[in-house]
Amino acid sequence: MKRVLLLMTTTSYRAQAFLQAAESLELEVVVGSDREQALAFANPSAHLTLDFASPEISALRATEFAYENPVDAVVAADDDGVLVAAHIARVLGLRHASPEAVAAARSKRLFRDRLASAGVPGPRYFELGIDAYPVEAARQATYPCVLKPLALSASRGVIRVDDEASFLEAFRRIASLLSRVEAPGASERRGILVEEYLPGSEVALEGILTGGQLRTLALFDKPDPLEGPYFEETIYVTPSRFPLPVREAIVEQTAKAAAALGLDHGPIHAEMRINELGVWMLEIAPRSIGGLCSRALRFTDGATLESLILRHALGEDITTIEREPSASGVMMIPIPQPGVLRAVEGVERAGRVPGIEDVIISIPNGQRLVPLPEGARYLGFIFARGERPSDVEESLRQAHALLSFVIESDDAAQPDPGLPCGRQGA
Amino acid sequence: MVTITEAARDKVLEILKDGDRHGVALRVAITGRGRGPGGFGYELELIEEDEKAPDDLVIDAGGFKIVVDAMSAPKLEGAVVDYLDDPMDSGFKIENPNTFFEDPIAVRVQQVLDEQINPAVADHGGFVMLLDVKDETAYIQLGGGCQGCGMANVTLKQGVEVMIQRAVPEIKHVVDSTDHASGTNPFYQPAKGGGASPLA
Repeated sequence: MKRVLLLMTTTSYRAQAFLQAAESLELEVVVGSDREQALAFANPSAHLTLDFASPEISALRATEFAYENPVDAVVAADDDGVLVAAHIARVLGLRHASPEAVAAARSKRLFRDRLASAGVPGPRYFELGIDAYPVEAARQATYPCVLKPLALSASRGVIRVDDEASFLEAFRRIASLLSRVEAPGASERRGILVEEYLPGSEVALEGILTGGQLRTLALFDKPDPLEGPYFEETIYVTPSRFPLPVREAIVEQTAKAAAALGLDHGPIHAEMRINELGVWMLEIAPRSIGGLCSRALRFTDGATLESLILRHALGEDITTIEREPSASGVMMIPIPQPGVLRAVEGVERAGRVPGIEDVIISIPNGQRLVPLPEGARYLGFIFARGERPSDVEESLRQAHALLSFVIESDDAAQPDPGLPCGRQGA
Repeated sequence: MVTITEAARDKVLEILKDGDRHGVALRVAITGRGRGPGGFGYELELIEEDEKAPDDLVIDAGGFKIVVDAMSAPKLEGAVVDYLDDPMDSGFKIENPNTFFEDPIAVRVQQVLDEQINPAVADHGGFVMLLDVKDETAYIQLGGGCQGCGMANVTLKQGVEVMIQRAVPEIKHVVDSTDHASGTNPFYQPAKGGGASPLA
C-alpha cells in the first residue's frame, strides 16, 4: 500500500475531500498538520506535527519521520502547506514543484516580477511597506488601482481605490489587518502591492502540471462582476461560455505564467481577467481550488479532483481522465452583513430547486460573520449541475434567492466606517 | 449499590452547607443513551428527600442521602460518584462498570471509547458516542468540539477508526453519523486558504 503525506492546517476546508479520496484509492495517509491531533498518540505513524512557518525545519522533521515511515508522495491540501510540501519533496526526492517556484507563486510581488521578466502582460505595480509614509505613493498612483497585501490569500485585504483619499484609507485598513493576522514571513507580513486596476470578466482555471506541461481540468466563468470595492467571490460555472479562441488564450497565458514562475508539477488554481486587450493573469496558486468548491467537479468514473491530485502525485498517468460532460457550478454564499449569525432559513427549499445538488452552511449559528476584506471564512456553498452552464447559473441564483439570513447586529463585527474601497480577486 | 467517594461527599456537603439546605438528597439516574461512561447519559441533581419516588433506592452517604432512580438501579450497580477538582477537568463524574449495550462487540467498542478515545478528545471539548454496532460496522456520532471541526475527519479516520479496529478487530467499518453542519462550537474552524491555527 502506498503512503501519502498530506499537509493541511487545522483550519482546512479540504481535509474531508482529501481523506475520502485517499481512502477510495486505498492509500495510507500521514497527516502533517500545524497542531498535534487529539488522537495522534494512538497512531503516531499516521501523524506528523510541523511548523508551517518554517518550511526548511519542517522538511528536516519530515525526513526523520520518513526514515521510519517512508512516503511515496507529498501533497498540500491548502495554500499554507504548499511551501512546506515543496521543501519536503525536494529533500525526499518526490515529485513536486520547486520551493523557489512555489515561493514566487505565493508572493504577489514575486509573481508580478517573474511574469514581467518573462514578458507575460500584466498591470503596472509597485510595492509599499506598511511602515511607509503612504501620502506620496497615493499621489503617484494611477487610478483606479488595487491594494493587495502581499502575504494573504483568497482576496483578504484586497481593496480597489479610486482616488487619493480612498488609497490612504485602504492603506490604513490593510495595515491594521496585517498587524492582526498570521502570515508566512515577517517581510511578507509588512508589504502591500499596489496594482493598476484591470477591468473585465474574471475566470478561474483548474489545472495540473506534469513536466511543465499544463493540462486543463476545468475552466470556470465567474458571471458576477468583480469590480470592487471588495472582491467577494460568488458563482463559479464550468464549462466556460467564452468563445474557443478566448479559452485557448486563457490556457496559453496560464501555461506561460506557470513557466515564468518555474511551476512544473502538481495542481494549479489560476485566476485571470479577460478584456478587449487580452488575458491578464491575477494569480497562479500551486494548489487546487479552495473551500469546498472542488465538489463542483466530477471526472471519469466519478473521480474527484482530490483523487486525481493524489494519483498524479504518485506518478500515475491521468491523461485519459476527463471532466464530466454536464455543466456544474458552485456559489460561495456571500456574507450579507457583519454580525452574529442566528439562523439561515430556506435551506431545504433552496435544495429543492431543480439542478441544485447541495446547500451547505459552513458557519455555525451563533458565530460572527465578518465580510471582506477582513473576513476569512465562507458562509456556505451551493452546488448545482445541469445540461448547460446557463442552467447551472440560474439554479444557483434561484437557490440563493430562497435563503434568508437572520443576523444580529454586532458592533464588534462592523467593518471600519467610511471606507469607499474594495478588493480585487487574487 | 452506588457508592460515593470522599471527595464527592465533601463537595455535596459543602454545597448543602453553603446553601443552608437540609433534608436534601443527591439523586442519581440514567437518562438513556448518552456520552457518559458505558454509553449512558446521566443525571445528578439535588432534590428534597420527600420528592423521591416510593420505589427509588435510598443510600445513606453520611450527612445526606443518595437516591437512585428505580429504573436506573440495575444499570448503576457498582457505579461510583466522584468529584474531580482539577483545572483541566473538574466536576462530578460517574464511573460505571455497566454498559448500555448487550452485544459483546458493542460493549468492547464502548470500552475503547470510554477508556482511550473520549479522555483524549475531551481535551478539545469533544466526545464520541457509539450509536450502534451492526454487521461489522460501528456507527458513531461526534459531539462538542468535534462536531463540525475542520479536523473531524482526521480524528475519525486516523484515530477513532484505527483505535477501535485495533481493539475490536471484528469491526471492519466505522461510520460517522454526525450532523456536522449543526455543530455550534467546533474546535478547529475552517478558514480561507487554510491559515494558521487559532491556537498556534
